[in-house]
Amino acid sequence: MKLTDREENGVIILEPNGKIMGGPDASLLHDKLYEFIDQDKKKVVVDLSGVDWMNSTGLGILISSYTTLRNNGGKLKLANVTEKIRSLLVITKLEPVFESYDTIADAVKSFDE
Amino acid sequence: MHEPIIKGNMISIPSSLEYLTNIDDFIEGILRGFEVEESTIADIAISVSELVNNSVSHGNKSDDGKTVSVSIAKKGNDIEIKIEDQGQGFDPRAISNPLDEENLLKDTGRGIFIVNALMDKVDVQTTKDGTITTITKSIV
Repeated sequence: MKLTDREENGVIILEPNGKIMGGPDASLLHDKLYEFIDQDKKKVVVDLSGVDWMNSTGLGILISSYTTLRNNGGKLKLANVTEKIRSLLVITKLEPVFESYDTIADAVKSFDE
Repeated sequence: MHEPIIKGNMISIPSSLEYLTNIDDFIEGILRGFEVEESTIADIAISVSELVNNSVSHGNKSDDGKTVSVSIAKKGNDIEIKIEDQGQGFDPRAISNPLDEENLLKDTGRGIFIVNALMDKVDVQTTKDGTITTITKSIV
């Protein structure tokens, strides 16, 4: 997995790319999240359009990122959830946990509502 | 510790998660050779990654002197994959239900549940030498 990030209207957009399956890159996303929390940037969108698939380690990273932000007064939202990842969220009953949007623009805009 | 070893349709790795991508590249390459559709390849790859994770971390307890082997075969309309480690297996009944309210926001404990949901058949056999988990997925 590769991870890039950018900021749009005060919202951090994290863009993981590839497969999220565990191993050495498992902590990349979480570590990056803590960097932003330390900078008091707590509105985060994870863009999943570039993620081919993820396993339970990937779901665990999303959950721990979600709870870490929530516990620090922030919020994590998802954008561009692929059909494969959505089916995993459904079978694990995690779909209602996450706010998800069809586009990054919609996800960013939702922080103003 | 040795590097991944490939012999025909089998790959063997030391017990380290740094080799997960080697296993994935190997499995997905063979499945594409079998002309399996991409969505099914993803389901199988996810399941294999879950079981190799378990074998490395729980079965072999990340002892890189031990190995995890994965073999793949096409049997009629089924893909059959065996994941072998040198650990003493697990009791599926001892794994708590990840869908229970108190477990829903835990960041671990969904691996076997996902494998059971994605695969048609999951069989676990433990002997004195280790554990063999066999997963089967129809490709029609």
